[in-house]
Amino acid sequence: MANVFAFAETRNGELRKIGLEAVTAARRIADETGGKVDAFVAGSAGIAARADQLAKYGADAVIVAEHAEFAKYNPEALAAIVAERVRGGSYRVVLFPTSALGSDLAPRVAAKLGVGLVTDVTEIKLDGDTVVVKHPVNIGKVIATVKIASHPALIGIRANMFTPVEKPHAGTVERAEPVGDPAASRVVVKEVKLGGGAKLDLGEAPVIVSGGRGLKGPENFKMLEDLAAAFGNAAVGATRVVTDEGWRPHSDQIGQTGRLVSPQLYIAVGISGAIQHLAGMRTSRTIVAINKDKEAPIFKIADYGIVGDLFEVVPALTAAVKEAKSRG
Amino acid sequence: MTVGHGVFIVIVVLALSFFSYNAQRLIRYMMSIGQPEDRTGDPVTRIRNLFLIGLAQKKILRDAVAGPLHASVFWGFVVLTIGTAEIIVQGLVPGFSYAAILPAPIYAFYILSQELFALLVLAAVSVLLYRRIVVKPKRLQGDKVHSGDAILILSMIGALMVSLISLGAFSFALRPESGTMFQPVSLALSHLFSGMSAGTLEAGRATSWWFHALLILVFLNYLPYSKHLHVLTSLPNTYLSNTSGPGVKGAMSYMDLEAEGAEHFGASDVTQLGWKSLLDSYSCTECGRCTAVCPANITGKPLSPRKIMINTRQRLMELAPLATGDFGEFEHHVLVAGEGADAGDSGTTASVLGNTLLDNYITEEELWACTSCRACVEECPVSIDQLDIINELRRDLVLMESRFPAEIQPAFESLERNGSPWAFDPGDRAKWAEGMDIPTMAEMVERGERPEVLFWVGCMGSFDDRAKKIAVAFARVLQAAKVKFAILGQEEKCNGDPARRMGNEYLYQMLARDNIETLDRYGVQTIVTNCPHCFHQIGNEYPQLGGNYDVIHHSTYIERLMEENRLPLKGEGKALTVAYHDSCYLGRYNDIYDAPRETLKRALPMVTLVEPPRTRSKALCCGAGGGRMWMEESVGKRINAERTEELLATGADVLAVACPFCMTMIGDGAKAQEPGVPVLDISEVVAQQLAV
Amino acid sequence: MKIAVCIKRVPDMDVRFKIAPIGNAVDEAGLKFDMNDFDSWAVEAALQIKDKDAATEVVVVSLGPDAVQETIRKALAMGADRGIELKSDRIPFDGLAIAHALATELKDGGFDLILFGKQSADSSNGVVGAMVGELLGLPLVTSISKLELAGQTGLAKREIEGGQEFVEFPLPAVLTIDQGLNTARYPALKGIMSAKKKPLEIKPAQLGEQSVSVVQMELPPERAAGRIIGEGVSAVPELVRLLQTEAKVL
Repeated sequence: MANVFAFAETRNGELRKIGLEAVTAARRIADETGGKVDAFVAGSAGIAARADQLAKYGADAVIVAEHAEFAKYNPEALAAIVAERVRGGSYRVVLFPTSALGSDLAPRVAAKLGVGLVTDVTEIKLDGDTVVVKHPVNIGKVIATVKIASHPALIGIRANMFTPVEKPHAGTVERAEPVGDPAASRVVVKEVKLGGGAKLDLGEAPVIVSGGRGLKGPENFKMLEDLAAAFGNAAVGATRVVTDEGWRPHSDQIGQTGRLVSPQLYIAVGISGAIQHLAGMRTSRTIVAINKDKEAPIFKIADYGIVGDLFEVVPALTAAVKEAKSRG
Repeated sequence: MTVGHGVFIVIVVLALSFFSYNAQRLIRYMMSIGQPEDRTGDPVTRIRNLFLIGLAQKKILRDAVAGPLHASVFWGFVVLTIGTAEIIVQGLVPGFSYAAILPAPIYAFYILSQELFALLVLAAVSVLLYRRIVVKPKRLQGDKVHSGDAILILSMIGALMVSLISLGAFSFALRPESGTMFQPVSLALSHLFSGMSAGTLEAGRATSWWFHALLILVFLNYLPYSKHLHVLTSLPNTYLSNTSGPGVKGAMSYMDLEAEGAEHFGASDVTQLGWKSLLDSYSCTECGRCTAVCPANITGKPLSPRKIMINTRQRLMELAPLATGDFGEFEHHVLVAGEGADAGDSGTTASVLGNTLLDNYITEEELWACTSCRACVEECPVSIDQLDIINELRRDLVLMESRFPAEIQPAFESLERNGSPWAFDPGDRAKWAEGMDIPTMAEMVERGERPEVLFWVGCMGSFDDRAKKIAVAFARVLQAAKVKFAILGQEEKCNGDPARRMGNEYLYQMLARDNIETLDRYGVQTIVTNCPHCFHQIGNEYPQLGGNYDVIHHSTYIERLMEENRLPLKGEGKALTVAYHDSCYLGRYNDIYDAPRETLKRALPMVTLVEPPRTRSKALCCGAGGGRMWMEESVGKRINAERTEELLATGADVLAVACPFCMTMIGDGAKAQEPGVPVLDISEVVAQQLAV
Repeated sequence: MKIAVCIKRVPDMDVRFKIAPIGNAVDEAGLKFDMNDFDSWAVEAALQIKDKDAATEVVVVSLGPDAVQETIRKALAMGADRGIELKSDRIPFDGLAIAHALATELKDGGFDLILFGKQSADSSNGVVGAMVGELLGLPLVTSISKLELAGQTGLAKREIEGGQEFVEFPLPAVLTIDQGLNTARYPALKGIMSAKKKPLEIKPAQLGEQSVSVVQMELPPERAAGRIIGEGVSAVPELVRLLQTEAKVL
């Protein structure tokens, strides 16, 4: 029997998708072993209202920490209360999201408890009493199977690997009080800036839409900006020819002499794939190429290629992405 | 002994003393500030250079207009110096004449030569003055280029000729009975003086003599204060230069990184340059031929090889008097002026000692603009090595200060980690050859066989999609000729040229030593490669590190295969007009101009080869050399665009190259034009013509 | 100011890895090793502080076999003052065990800042820095991409999903460095030469108990690159489907 603790991440009083993914992953382990799932949620007053949602995805119990200081991420106070709850329960597995917040929180808790932690996990198995996970190493070029012998085993799950599935359970709400005074934390999040305004940096954007000579002129980059906007988390890049021609600023250049990038998704539009460009983006996780020349070298490294007129394909793709996004 | 005679002796002694003082001072500066360097080896080649480049004015004559003019003045000076000696000796020993010691026919010939050359020089100087003052050719212009000095010198030469001619004319008029048919100029001019009294004529002769003799001494003593110091230094400079041999042309100097007590690598100031670079700076007369052919300068970038030389001289003249404790130094008005003269600060001792050649005179931007194409070196009539200074300054920037354009850091890091300037998996090096049945050296050795040649593919051929096709084409040619060859595959690494040219000698030696170790392990003797950079580096620069191989560029090798009838060719096809673009590392670095052209002609019987105006040793660089391939080109026009336009203006149907880097640059340039003209490597042209 | 930077020696990632015969490690034959990128930015961050305040001492610490000395020398060549090798036959996967050894070494060092890269390219676990912070009981900020120091207070920027967090903390503190903070300097030959003379201390690593271990390594299925899914606009729906279901990036 393995009881599982799932940290359900919230932001601005709402559960994040990866929070639900943690609960779904937890439910699956508990069901396989006949254990139960405790979901943990922290936030300012009113966060308890999220308990229903966690119950719907499979929480037997929902531990709710309500405190004004939890409105924003308070790393020290949150780590303290999570560690205390985990220590107090008899959990075999503790799940965190591998997110900006989860990656900060999980190792704090692991160190406090003196237990093992593996992050960015894509699969979890319980083999008898042994917790075994899959964890990509060497920038994803190798998959490691890792055994966590400690009790509990702490795991950070990778986003989008455990699709949330509704599986209603009781979701009994249990209140938890902060350990000490959360306002006394030494590390304080002063300000959070979300979305909008700030242009995503090429080095940080999860999605990059990039244009080459095939765009024919600076005016056509509007098309790529529209596609990037449809993704919402995308930045627009360019090849050396484009920046040399002055169609785009030099800072937008991707390649050996420009930015070296490695996003989740790289969409190369009208780019033939010169060595200097490939050197700067070939480690991207997924590469899409749109080019009218089916002999273009870019297709050799692209995961998905569309041969065609970019002036037709790109607007169609923009529309399709918008639609996919609106569906959720 | 007359009073005049005595006065003249005093003047000559004073003039020669003052000249000697200046000469020893300049030599002392050069030798005490500059680093030691041995330039005594191979006197045969040096004497050949002295004759060809110095006396025969081979390089001067590359300029069709100024060349013959300058050669006239130079040859005139050589011939007239014999007469000048006579005149000076006359001043010291009254009544002296060569007539007394020379057989009559030779003396007559001597007299004639003096007359004609004086006239020739006068004519040439007049045209040169006209060019300076009226025509103003572009290369003679520039930021703070001091035309005044040139005009002064040309005028002095003109005045010397006029006085020489008038001396002859007055002498002739005084004693027409002793005149001969070997004095046509004097004879003609003497008619002007008909009717003058003997006294007037003698006064005219004496004035001419004094004017001429004194002006010679003034001229001699002015030279150390003028950019025309080259009159004195150009011949020694040509003799001591290595730019046309001896040694390996274009090879960068060896640097002992492990040397005991080595603390400075490269040069940031004149004190770290070799003395020969300083002699080069004395020898620069600011003619601007180097700057006029510099691809960076032509396309509007801040590099001027002429400025590099002037700056070196300016800095030397600023620092040397202080550094050598020579406080009797006269104001070097001209030698510290010129391009970039505002850089130096002859103000306080502290500021002079605080300055450096790098930064105060020559900026980083200038240095990184260089494509190492060697056009400046090739063009310099007095065999100055501008590139040597640029290379030494780059070495200082990288090895001492880690100061370089940010975009080349990934290239350095990748060279270090992956053995290629691009971050590709070394395991993919032989991917281009998949399915072609090409063995690696390791495989061949395992079978107990040895190849006829090793095909050195290079990083471009291994990783660049376009260049891979060149590797395939050349491999097909080798296979068609039944050449038994192997590649190194994963064991090949970048030859190190990009690192070396970008100043990273440390990284270069690391790569080169690794490659030498691999090549020697397999006992490789003959290497063929389609990349001129690999070709030059392995063949010409690896010997510095103990790697000695017979390296052949594919243009030469294919030509040889055709010569031996080893290549089955179709010998047909449609008539094509082809313009071949010379690679710098093939042409100027290795004098290979004909092999690629011959290869094209033999492969395509119907070909018409057309040449752009700048071709062969005057060809414009594609813009990729000297590590420029890995740098941004954001200032001015793109070099590859400039070059491609020139090539396309020939009306060619096909542009041919013999270097994968040229392929990238010219290919890019051609793609930007409509309609696209194909750019092919010579091996691709041959491969298309294979009958198998 | 006294700064410690913990660095890791990792294999170059530009290659195609092979699995070693023992099955739970990659074959190291032919691999090139270098300093982990994130760690080089941590070294750079320390050196930039030193550039402004010459009195700063930068100490680099690396855990592993003697080969890590090469990595330490690189940091010294960049400009760090001295190095410490925490000697261990191999670098364990268990972050807590490593954190224990580092914390033991750093505990009494009197450091104002202890810097880490946010994660290593090989283990890709990203936990050691944060664990050291916790074990030492010091203020900790992870994954920072901007840093300002004013006296005994620091302000850091962290990238979070769809935005940024600005975090204030007091010194001494432990920070882990993300991409974007700086670009690491390239060591000049002069630095490489002087690094040879800088002190490098070797001590046994006091590794903590290990509860996490790699049992197996495998290569992911070859990416079927070069797959053309169609021509023109008609291929768009299929592309979107693949991005959603197969690549899971949409």
